[in-house]
Amino acid sequence: MAAPVTRLTIRGVIARKWRIFLTILAVVSGVAFVSGAFVLTDSVKKSINDVFATLSEGIDIEVRTSIAFGDEATAERDPVSVDVIDVVAAIDGVRLAEGNLLRAATVIKSDGEPLRTSGPAFGIAWVGPDGLDGRTIVEGRPAAGPSEVTLDKSSARRAGYEVGDTVTIVGPAGKGDFVLVGLNGTGKTTNGGGASIAAFDPVTANEFLGAENMVDSIYVAIDEGADRDAVMAAIDSALPDGLEVITGEQSAEETAGAINDIIDIFGNVLLGFAAVSLFVSAFLIFNTFAIIVSQRLRELALLRAVGASARQIRTMIIGEALVVSVIATLLGILAGMGVAKGIVAIFNAAGAAFPSASLIVSPRTVIASTVVGVGVTVAAAIVPALRAARIPPVAAMRPELGFNSLQKNKRLVVGSITTGIGLVLFSIGVFGQPGGTSGTLGLSAVGAILLFLGIASLSTTVAAPTSRVISRVLPLPFRPMTRSVPGRLGSRNAQRTPRRTASTASALMIGLALVSTVSVVASSVQASFKEQLQGSVTADFFVSNGPGNFQGLPVAFSERLSELPELSAVSPFRAATAQVNGDTKQIGAVRGSAFGQLVDIDLTSGSVESLDDGKILLHRDPARDYAVQVGDTLSILWLNGTEQQIEVGGIYDDATIAGNWLVGLSTLQAVSTATPTDFFIGAKIADGVDIEDARAAVEEVALDFPSAEVQDQAEFQQSQEDQLNQLLIIIYGLLIISIAIAVLGIANTMALSVFERTREFGLLRAVGMSKRDLKRSIRWEAVIVAVFGASLGIIVGIPLGLAVTTALPSTFITTTVVPVNTIIVILIASIIVGVVAAIGPARRAAKLNVLDAISTH
Amino acid sequence: MTSLSTAAAGAIDAFKIYGKDDSEVRALDGVTVTFASGKFTAIMGPSGSGKSTLMHCLAGLDSLTSGSITIGDTNLATLNDKELTLTRRSNVGFIFQAYNLIPTLTALENITLPLDLGGTPVDQQWLDTVVDAVGLRSRLNHRPSELSGGQQQRVAVARALASKPRIIFADEPTGNLDSRMGTEILTFMRHAVTDLGQTIVMVTHDPVAASYADRVIFLADGKIVDELDNPTADQVLDRMKRLGS
Repeated sequence: MAAPVTRLTIRGVIARKWRIFLTILAVVSGVAFVSGAFVLTDSVKKSINDVFATLSEGIDIEVRTSIAFGDEATAERDPVSVDVIDVVAAIDGVRLAEGNLLRAATVIKSDGEPLRTSGPAFGIAWVGPDGLDGRTIVEGRPAAGPSEVTLDKSSARRAGYEVGDTVTIVGPAGKGDFVLVGLNGTGKTTNGGGASIAAFDPVTANEFLGAENMVDSIYVAIDEGADRDAVMAAIDSALPDGLEVITGEQSAEETAGAINDIIDIFGNVLLGFAAVSLFVSAFLIFNTFAIIVSQRLRELALLRAVGASARQIRTMIIGEALVVSVIATLLGILAGMGVAKGIVAIFNAAGAAFPSASLIVSPRTVIASTVVGVGVTVAAAIVPALRAARIPPVAAMRPELGFNSLQKNKRLVVGSITTGIGLVLFSIGVFGQPGGTSGTLGLSAVGAILLFLGIASLSTTVAAPTSRVISRVLPLPFRPMTRSVPGRLGSRNAQRTPRRTASTASALMIGLALVSTVSVVASSVQASFKEQLQGSVTADFFVSNGPGNFQGLPVAFSERLSELPELSAVSPFRAATAQVNGDTKQIGAVRGSAFGQLVDIDLTSGSVESLDDGKILLHRDPARDYAVQVGDTLSILWLNGTEQQIEVGGIYDDATIAGNWLVGLSTLQAVSTATPTDFFIGAKIADGVDIEDARAAVEEVALDFPSAEVQDQAEFQQSQEDQLNQLLIIIYGLLIISIAIAVLGIANTMALSVFERTREFGLLRAVGMSKRDLKRSIRWEAVIVAVFGASLGIIVGIPLGLAVTTALPSTFITTTVVPVNTIIVILIASIIVGVVAAIGPARRAAKLNVLDAISTH
Repeated sequence: MTSLSTAAAGAIDAFKIYGKDDSEVRALDGVTVTFASGKFTAIMGPSGSGKSTLMHCLAGLDSLTSGSITIGDTNLATLNDKELTLTRRSNVGFIFQAYNLIPTLTALENITLPLDLGGTPVDQQWLDTVVDAVGLRSRLNHRPSELSGGQQQRVAVARALASKPRIIFADEPTGNLDSRMGTEILTFMRHAVTDLGQTIVMVTHDPVAASYADRVIFLADGKIVDELDNPTADQVLDRMKRLGS
């Protein structure tokens, strides 16, 4: 039984190889995302873990300050006094104890611009040729003395320096010039894994990096043959309170783990887009198989007539899908490796230095890709296969007895129910927000998928009338297309098989619905943000570390600005992690005397100045949640374990810049010895000082901090908006891929339809239709389908976007905007989509040999 | 012999050769023929005699290996694809055996299709004449799927006539119809030539169909082997039998 079915299956695929080519392409793109995400995360993680393993190879034990709560890997710990190094070194079994000091320090390139890195920019203390931190010298010699430095080789090259040059470096305390005496590497590599690393001798490092005789942690190597556990216990008992001992491996794991988490987020985003593109691909696959089945009606009926069972027919069609999916999955895994390599290359070109690693294709990658690729393809082919199996044998002679497809009423009911369930799930997900972020995302995603499926099913009912309306309305600005023959044919063909038109358009609908949703949310966030910024920013200048640099500004900057007579109020904005009544919160720290003049936080009670008296200010939302008023106290537990009862000094309405919690700088400094950096600095011009003079004075200070960027109010607002826009561009960019698949889908349906209408086109050409008009009619049909899909997408996407906007907290959204411009762009883009999708099929139709097309003999 | 000036179409020394050397097939092997305006001509011959090839070449759907085809005063060999399309649109009408109509267009839209394609205004009086002659007035707004086979073929004939072409080619127009409907179509084609002054060239293998023509041309092995003026079905059958033997 199996043999003839297998043979038919294989022959079927081969006979239709061009018709399923685009289907394969669509599956490939979805699988490529999945495999790309896994290959990328596996490979980058492996190489980063290798780097940290190398770095910690010589470290047996690490001594550091303990934290009261939170994530071990990412916490901003207090430093350790250098005195502890001697305590540790004196313990039995310790061979070597050295201070690990690592601070923000930016290298200034030979052209005067700061060197941009994908990772952090560090200055470190070089602990000698037998150092435990895995750093090596690959050229020249280590830095010794107050005027020498070494750089990692790749940063030195990118900054344009060679050994012997003088290098300018900006540290926490300001700018310094050093002679480059050597190039360092990390383990076996000659770069810092995306970071830039400037190494000084420990004395110079202590001075220049503003460490004040503190180190971040202490690295320990033990004597050969010594028992590590015993040494750890001995160190532990000798340490003052607040310090802890861990193994070198644990330290490496924690650091690598923190980076792995970031890589995982990136991988998950890719998987999210894989899901979208596979979902869209499923429509394409479904459509292709449905069309192929209906085109083979006679053949299938003949098979039935000569004795093939319904089950064999079903097996054959699903078998074809299986063959397609296996080919596509294999290609997709390969393409995924390309995707991973491409992303690494893009990041490296943008300044990242991913450790060069070979691509890792783990069994998990192959399994996941196969499950997804084969699963989606076969699942999408099931309905067409079932339909094929229902063909009565008599249809071989009388094709008009073909299918008895789903009744219109039944379709309406099924579609409505699916849409309804989808809506309910989506609403629960967005408004109820059960189970935190993953619950919200999961429920609303499932809801959206059901909603899309339901709408796709319902859209069959409206496909024909809507196409008619579109073909009447769309050409109004041009000449009346419907009166010309190509226009009429295109329009009629779009209405001809509503099911086909609907499922083709649905693929486009999904991509554009997501774009519409995102654009409503984004425009609303943007408008709200702009409104809030305008209402709250009163500072004349903002200084921050330039774009692409997520390290803060050295605190020395704000201290220098405070001394300028041209400025009347200067406050930095710092952040710290603390627990408020047991919940972990980000708390901002500002200068109370100045902040009120720089940012209008809409204080409803208390005073901003009370911050300088050690009080805390909070937004009305947490004030309501914790049921506190001015004068009440909150229990604050700082990261290093200090616990304080802090009095509420004020409650405010506007959290745009301030966030939900504010304390005074002095409060933070009193409890934390961690080296602070500033997110940004706000400054107000003193009375009577010209803005140009004030700016010149600020810029002069900034010369010593070359990575800093000075912005006036308008520039600051613009840069904040630009950041939001960049994020949007990335999201839109990835959604474009789903739209590209939809274009493939339309092209595919059109190509299959062209094939089906060979005879018709032959007749049209015979009675005098020009190739141009023939192409025009196909183009017109594709445009109608595309505009139909786009309209559905907009109709579905905008309410979804409005729902999400409504569900967002009111501190975030103050205005709701429906972006009319974006909608117009989407509609115009969909016309272009139609035209592009029709290029291939139209060309093919025009190439048809008239004689072959009309010959009946 | 009809003089060239009143010829609707003609072929001179027409050769159509497929393949090379041993596998060479001469579909047309030196055919010279003219079709007079206002006449109904039938082309007959056994399968593979070249009758369909001749018609396709005459209609500008296919090209010759050598020789020339003229429609009116135009030599088709000198035309590019676009000009050929225009020639077909305005000078040639077609009636095929089946699949004659565009399923998405109504009967009326199918009839005026060649005119609409060229943006030529419809001659309403002529259209009325044609529509009434084929008796389709009540079915004009129906789609082909709503018409019987005979009605569909009548729409096809009406379409061929609508643009008042120089010449109409019909390829087995009654091949798919039962004899009653076939008779109806043939009677109407005869009427179009006699009373409406049209020119029709019809390929057929049915002697009865051929008997409606003014003249029958017999083809065998790509050559014209015989012809017959004002034929009867028996005469045609007789000649066919002789050709076949």
